[in-house]
Amino acid sequence: MEIGRRWYLKSLPGFLSIGVVVIARLTGVLQSMEWDALDAGLRWRSPEPTDDRIVIVGIDETDIQTLGTYPIPDGVIAQLLQRLQSYNPRAIGLDLVRDIPVDPGHESLVQAFQTMPNVIGGISVVPDDIGGVILPPPSLPPEQIGFVDAMLDDDGHQRRSLLGSVDLAGDYRFSMAIQLAQIYLQSHNIALENGVRDPVAMRFGPAELPVLQPNTGGYVGVDAKGNQTLINFRSGPVPFHMISLHDVLNDQVDPDWLHDNIVLIGVTAKSAKDYAQSAVISSSKPDLVFGVEIHAHTLSQILSTALDGRSLLRTWPDPWEYAWIIAWGLIGIAISQWIQRPSIHFLVAGCMVLSLVAMCYVSLMVGWWLPIVPALIGLTVNSIVLHSLYLYNRSVQSRIRDRQLVIEQTFTAIHNGPLQTLAQVLRELEEPNVSHIKLHQDLTHLNQELRGVYDAIQKDAEQDNRLHLQGEAALDLTAPLHEILYEVYNDTLNRNFPHFAKIQAKIIKFEPFAEQGLTPEHKRNLCRFLEEALCNVGKHAVGARRLSVDCRYDGHRNMIQVIDNGNGNRETVGSSSSALSSSQSSGKRGTQQARQIATQLGGTFERSPHAPKGTCCTLSWHPKRSIWTLIFRFVPTAWLNSAS
Amino acid sequence: MTHTFVVIDDHEAVLGGTVAALNMEYPEAKIVTASTAKEALEQVAGTKPDGVVMDLSIPFTPQDAAQTETGIELLRTLMNTYPTLNIVVQSAHVRSLVRVKPLIDLHEGGLTIADKSLPLKEMLKKVDWALQGLIYIPREMKTGLEVKPEWLNVLTLAFQQGLQDKAIAQEMNISERTVRHYWTKVQDALEVYPEAGKNIRIQTELSAREKGLID
Repeated sequence: MEIGRRWYLKSLPGFLSIGVVVIARLTGVLQSMEWDALDAGLRWRSPEPTDDRIVIVGIDETDIQTLGTYPIPDGVIAQLLQRLQSYNPRAIGLDLVRDIPVDPGHESLVQAFQTMPNVIGGISVVPDDIGGVILPPPSLPPEQIGFVDAMLDDDGHQRRSLLGSVDLAGDYRFSMAIQLAQIYLQSHNIALENGVRDPVAMRFGPAELPVLQPNTGGYVGVDAKGNQTLINFRSGPVPFHMISLHDVLNDQVDPDWLHDNIVLIGVTAKSAKDYAQSAVISSSKPDLVFGVEIHAHTLSQILSTALDGRSLLRTWPDPWEYAWIIAWGLIGIAISQWIQRPSIHFLVAGCMVLSLVAMCYVSLMVGWWLPIVPALIGLTVNSIVLHSLYLYNRSVQSRIRDRQLVIEQTFTAIHNGPLQTLAQVLRELEEPNVSHIKLHQDLTHLNQELRGVYDAIQKDAEQDNRLHLQGEAALDLTAPLHEILYEVYNDTLNRNFPHFAKIQAKIIKFEPFAEQGLTPEHKRNLCRFLEEALCNVGKHAVGARRLSVDCRYDGHRNMIQVIDNGNGNRETVGSSSSALSSSQSSGKRGTQQARQIATQLGGTFERSPHAPKGTCCTLSWHPKRSIWTLIFRFVPTAWLNSAS
Repeated sequence: MTHTFVVIDDHEAVLGGTVAALNMEYPEAKIVTASTAKEALEQVAGTKPDGVVMDLSIPFTPQDAAQTETGIELLRTLMNTYPTLNIVVQSAHVRSLVRVKPLIDLHEGGLTIADKSLPLKEMLKKVDWALQGLIYIPREMKTGLEVKPEWLNVLTLAFQQGLQDKAIAQEMNISERTVRHYWTKVQDALEVYPEAGKNIRIQTELSAREKGLID
């Protein structure tokens, strides 16, 4: 599981950044960015047609100037109501404060209120800074009252609407939008009921209005008192028909706009300061929206959901949201870990960012507010920033590795060549009758070999994909591995080792390997491994008659196996003679080399006695799998590691 | 029986000599020639020959220089595409063929390697062996006696258990053709080649026992 552990360690910064994003979201650092993203997403939706169930009568700057007084006198309001009633609207919402009489004409307004059961008057239930609320006009019965409080977010924007709340007197009150919706939907036989999914929620037929929680969507610890819901603003340049007070009084209105529809009366003069901000409806700054418009949007979303099946704005439960955020962070890690080539990496990362944005946008179109901001941060940090770090780190490490490689190659070349000859010479010296001529020959050979090391290393360094053997041959490391190994085998067995001579039969099998993922460097090391293993047989396998070399992919693992049936086994033969101690130290080196290559390939190296006699030396490794197999194999491991 | 040969060599003179010798030996044979690897591949695909006699040092197209690499690539392609094709490789430098030996060991047709410096008579013998589906790999390309485990298995089943080819095939779960093919491989490994008046199976057994492949 060496690879699994390294994978996990390398991804640690990635997990860290996911943790930071999650904590940032939990503590509300990302809240305003998520609001902005929601506003932008809602603003970029395709326009919806005008909702002609609702007409806004706005008392604008011209009206106030014409009348020359503010607040608008009760008499004018009474006149307006009477004129509107002549068009037979289904209901009228009066988003004006009338708790105290504004003469002249108060009497006529009281009279109007008493004779018009379809008029809803406005109050406020949420105490203002000094604890005051606005009471209903005294002449209206309680069922004709709806509150018009605006719930503003910390950035001054309105995204949620209060639907029901307890007033100071302890009575449960509905908002004006709910009251008007009740009147309107009555004729469609849809009454206000409790929610099915959430019993606390309000429901008009199929339209169950999701109740805002303190941490709904991008909100963190928002004041969710009462029964609030997110406003799914109606998009489009003209969401509602809008007319002015003087239009109505002068009969300059299209009767169809008013007949059987809901009329909302409110102030649309900036000087009256009845407005909030919304970046959804208005993209220009300051993005002001009049209070009456917000009520129209709230009312419209209830009616069009109940009657047309339009979607409300919904959110996922918290665990889902965090799973989504973490998943995108993990995707970022996966991309930066497994796609090494920068060009492809940035292409893939870019595609993932685009698809995340697209998924969130499409979800918003059908009414789901997904956490795009934290997911996007996690994905980009992990896939782009971390990848750049990895790239930098890799280039530093590769420089170190290159240097290390030259040292290793040099040592391997010395070890597999001259040191072997030297060990042989030392061994010969142990024998009683040392032939000086033979000794001279060997030492001359050693001299040549040592001088050859420099050339071989030089050539290896110049031509990255070649391996220089003792013989004249230079191997092309891009050729199939089994063919190169056969050449190594051939070259090594032609070398002058004492125990090769007695070998009668070689049982060999060189067949194709599963080579995916093998670099020329891996192949070079595998060649050196086989060379070393065969040298060992030549040096130590006393009396070996048979040599088996098996190099192939057996359908499961890649394998290089060398078996001899000689007596010698340097791991078990203990001797204090100089020859053996020198070869023992070189033996350690050989084993170390073999372990190294095994680790590089994520495989195993084993040297064991072979029955009835001899030594078996096996290096085997699984071929590299595709990226998905890796994910399935190593993600659980990484989790286990992090858990333990 | 009429044979079809494709002879590949980039030297006109050598090509002529080889063709003449083949004509003498196989008067009925149809002989097609090619002087580049590209042409050779086309000819082999077109004529479906019984035997290919190829030089190792050839160019790929007439514009290229003659290279051993090209010949080795051609041999590789031929063995991969036509696993049962009989091939005679002529070369002055057989050592360079070592790298394709693992592939040769898998080839199912006859394959003989003839040193170019040897007389034409030797070459004709190699052609004859290749047509018989035999394998001949010169000693320079081997490190002594080299056998694959499955060939050894054939020897053991034949000479220790006395099985016939059919029974060996069943035992090893391979076709009888493959068993016969293993015989030719192991005979080449033991350097037992057809000789007039000698039983090649018995020669093989003797040699295998002598060299300790079987007890």
